[in-house]
Amino acid sequence: MMRKFMTAALATAMILPAGLAVAGGPEDIAKARIGYYRLLGLEMDGLAAMAKGEIDYDAEAAKGHAANLSVLTQYSPKGLFAPGTSNADLPGQTRALPVIWENMAAMGEKGAAFRSAVAELAAVAGDGREALGPAVGKLGGTCKACHDDFRAKDY
Amino acid sequence: MAPDQTTGAGASAPTPSAEQIWDPVVRIFHWALVIAFVVTFGLGKFGPDQMTLHFYGGYTIAALVVLRVIWGFVGPRNARFTNFVKGPGAVLAYARTLPKRAPSHSRGHNPVGALFVVGILIVLGLQVMTGLLADPEDYINVGPLAKYVSIETARKALALHEPLGMIALIGVVAHIAAIGFYKRWKGENLVTPMITGRRSD
Repeated sequence: MMRKFMTAALATAMILPAGLAVAGGPEDIAKARIGYYRLLGLEMDGLAAMAKGEIDYDAEAAKGHAANLSVLTQYSPKGLFAPGTSNADLPGQTRALPVIWENMAAMGEKGAAFRSAVAELAAVAGDGREALGPAVGKLGGTCKACHDDFRAKDY
Repeated sequence: MAPDQTTGAGASAPTPSAEQIWDPVVRIFHWALVIAFVVTFGLGKFGPDQMTLHFYGGYTIAALVVLRVIWGFVGPRNARFTNFVKGPGAVLAYARTLPKRAPSHSRGHNPVGALFVVGILIVLGLQVMTGLLADPEDYINVGPLAKYVSIETARKALALHEPLGMIALIGVVAHIAAIGFYKRWKGENLVTPMITGRRSD
């Protein structure tokens, strides 16, 4: 009896925090959000390197990056911007400024600009470096526009 | 044959009393920096999201700052740091003369103005450095030296770049205010000499 109880208590003690951790506490949401933007960044990095001529242009690779970005624009980031996950709530863990939650509509416009830039890029990604360059520039511009208003420069 | 010193040699020729205080390099540097600062600051704050022109502006400022520092060691007397950078005693002594409603007749940078000269060169130097190292993670406006440092350093540089720009702007505003003060309060025109090289009094 006692033994069973102990086992149950131990199991609960071990599983519960793990369960909470994956259930999406504010810190995990912040981490997931950073992860989402890292995914965007990884694809963008490959495209930017081609556009700048740091690596050779490769139509298939460019189209692959663009396709991944397109998939990521289908993902609704709503859950990533749950309340209580700004850099005021979680200092040192995120750079998301509280102004995001004060003006979600303006943030949404930045997101819309980003999605349309991805669509434009996806349409020309396979058409050579000359076509890719301006599209990457425009897409990077939408990154900057949002960072300027909604992201702290440092942790 | 002695030059005619009583009537002057003509409207365009400088009179013997109007000695040159600013050499052409200092003057060209000054006005080129004015243009480069206004353009680069404006582009940084209000320019397009693709900041290529801001970068070129920054490179221009970098070149101008380097030129002025070199000129500060090898240029003519009034351009040399050793000639105008003074200790706290001289700075305070000159500062005490500021309220006087009379032209300073400084031959070159005065000890207080020297603080601005050195200060703005340092701030602009740091501004160029942080700009070169900054990574805003937008993949298009990344400082050309950011890839040689850690992302933490690149972020720190990014975080310092804007405040440094504001410090530079405050310095420029204070500089212009000082020029206005000399004109209005002390009756001394400091703008014309920076154009002609010669004191106008």
